Parts: sequence; structure tokens; C-alpha cells
Amino acid sequence: MALVRERDAGAFEALYDAYYRVVYGIGVKMLGEAAAAEDLTQAVFLKIWTSPQAYREGNFGAWVSRVTRNRALDVLRGRAVRPESEIPHDATMEGSLDETVFAMIDGERVRAALATLPEEQRRPIELGFFGGITHEEIARRTQTPLGTIKTRIRTGLHKLRAALEGSAAR
Amino acid sequence: MNEHDELFESVALLALGVLPEAEATAVAAHVRDCAQCRAEYAELRSAADALGYAAEADAALIGGADCKRLKARVMDAAATATPARRSSDTIVPLRRAPAAFASPGRTAWLAYAAAAAALIVAIVSSANYGVLKKQYLAEQNDVARASDLQARVAAMLVPGSRYYAIPQGEVVENDGRIIFALRGLPDAGPGKVYQAWTLAAGAKTMAPSVTFVPDRGGITLIELPRSAAPLAAVAVSVEPAGGSKAPTSTPTFVRKLT
Repeated sequence: MALVRERDAGAFEALYDAYYRVVYGIGVKMLGEAAAAEDLTQAVFLKIWTSPQAYREGNFGAWVSRVTRNRALDVLRGRAVRPESEIPHDATMEGSLDETVFAMIDGERVRAALATLPEEQRRPIELGFFGGITHEEIARRTQTPLGTIKTRIRTGLHKLRAALEGSAAR
Repeated sequence: MNEHDELFESVALLALGVLPEAEATAVAAHVRDCAQCRAEYAELRSAADALGYAAEADAALIGGADCKRLKARVMDAAATATPARRSSDTIVPLRRAPAAFASPGRTAWLAYAAAAAALIVAIVSSANYGVLKKQYLAEQNDVARASDLQARVAAMLVPGSRYYAIPQGEVVENDGRIIFALRGLPDAGPGKVYQAWTLAAGAKTMAPSVTFVPDRGGITLIELPRSAAPLAAVAVSVEPAGGSKAPTSTPTFVRKLT
């Protein structure tokens, strides 16, 4: 990213090659079609190129994933502001997945980690992340009490983290 | 159960990004001041961020030709883009609807737009939202939206602007700049967006322009990219997300610029 900040086109291309499958994949999953995913991919990488200072620190893949989801939510919801961005950036760093763990993460590992979760925990997490809906809507769609959904999401995310760390350790 | 216990239960929902806005704001405020909740948030947020990788596409599934075409498209766009604050190709207007729209006239529109722009700027600069300000400044595109909105409002107020009434609001034209000020637009529907179209003078077919989604109040204030040729008409239709090369639905409106 340091090179991208210095307008190094080669570095930008390398960044694209490394992350476009994640960006495009999130686009297809959330927006449901290739054309929209392509638009999203272009928008995300243009943001990286034109506003590289928006990324400050932490794992770049995690940042790209977050930016891409937020962009897709913009399309889905027409929202311009996400309250979770009120969290201080520092707070996202303490206790984050170790950099070496994140460096080993790829689609296969995350899908495998997700597969270790019981269906009742995996489904609300996937509905929330990729469906862009609130926990209340998740509860309605799955016909599950709100409190139960809260517990399942929390437990599921803890298990997912543990599974990812375990996967990286192997 | 005390307030902390109640909010702690919602930290995972905040990390996953599934809380309604008002609730998210309350939980986020608590997280800022609570070490235990901050640690929980950081731990779960990174797990949530990793979720995106579950969607990672196989290059073979995208298709070799499409992979190359997409990469060429992005690199071409980057080559012509300047490192400036800019909004996305799909324009997302302010989400907050005005409390009331007493008058459907231009005055009400401009008052709303100006107030909305001021609101964003006020939020960005308010001492009471120091952390939010920090995040806003970091998120260049959000700030750019505020700046863009102010610019659009200013453009609408420039003497010499021409106003073309449409059922959903007005089309404003000034020295080649075209601005849509629309209200009451229904949600375009799942996987759908609104798309603007332009008809150059002498042309027989509409050319695709930007896609956009109204805010929750159906409000849209967007400026179309400048056209090389004088425009004879503009239109809007509902299209699949990402836009279309030619309209695929009955236009929401078509307005001659004469």
C-alpha cells in the first residue's frame, strides 16, 4: 500500500491481482449478479487508487473486505453512513486476528471454518453479513426469538475466530 | 441485567454490522468507553471481516476472458482517475429524509438540500461527534459526498439555471451541468437501481448515465457527468444493479430540456 500511496501503478496492479477475487466474490454474493459485482469491483479499487490514505493500518485484506461489504450495502440499502464506523480505529486492532493468521486466510479456509459452525449459528451470520439485513430481520426470517439470534451470532463469531486461528496453526 | 450487560450482548451484532442504526450508535458509544466491550468488539470484528473471504471467487468461475476484461476496465479507470475525493460510480444520496415536505416547490427542495448538506458538514465538524468526525475524515468518500452535495446545491442556485419540472421534482440545467432533484422515489427493489439516461441533440437513442439509489425518504440529489454534446432530453428508469446499456423498463420520467 505504501507504493500505491506513491502512485505506483505496478503496485496497484499487484494489489488488484491479490484481492480482486475477494472483492468480486463479495459483490456477486451480496448483489446477486456479475454486472453489479464488476461495478463494485471497479468502485472499490478506484477508491484504493484515488484515496489510498483511507487505509491506515491493520490487515489490508480485512480492510478491503469491510470496504467492499460497505459499498455493497450502499447499493442494497442506499445508506451513506454506517454507525459502526464510530468505533475508534484503535479499538479494532486490539485483539484482532493475528497478522500471521490473516495472512494465511483464503476462501477455502474461511469456508471450512464456517462449515464447522452448527447451521443455527452459521445461517444468521451469513444472512447478516452477505444479506445486509439487521438481526431483527434475521430473527423474522428464521422465525427465531431475537435473544436467541443474538446468542447464536455471538457464539458463532467466537467459534469462527477460534476455527480460523486453529486452521492457521495447522 | 444492567445497561452494560444489555449492551455487551449486542457487541457481536455491531461487529457483524447487523444492528439498526440507532441501536448501533448506542452500542458503539458504549464500546468506546468500556474496555471489556472494546476487547469483545475487536475480537469479533476481525472474525466478521474474515467472512468476506468466504465469498472469494475462483478465477476459473469468473472466466478467463471476463477476468482480463474486468482487470482492463479497472486499470483503465484508474489510469484516468485523479487521486481526489470522489464518490462511487453509483451515487448514494443522503439517507435522511426531511421531517416534512410542506411545499413540493423548488424552494422547499433547495431548503432541504441545503439543510441536508449543512447537516452532514455539521456532523463532520461537531465537537460532540469527535470520534465520528475522525472516522469521517478517514473515510474520504463520505466527506466527498458532503462536498459533492454542497456543490450540487450551489449549482442549483446559480443565476441562469433552467428548471424543468417533472412529477418527481425538477431537472436543473446550468451551463451544461445537469442535476436531478427528485423526491418520493420508491425503492427500486431488490437488486435494482435507478439509472439516468441522456439524449444528445440529434441522437436517436438514449445513452446510459449514472446509476443511483434514493435515500429512505425517496430523496435524490445527483449531478450527471457532463455530456460532450448538448442534451435534448434526460430520463430515469429502474435497471438491474450495475446499470444497463439500454433502458430495460418503462422510464420513471422523460424530460425534454427545451
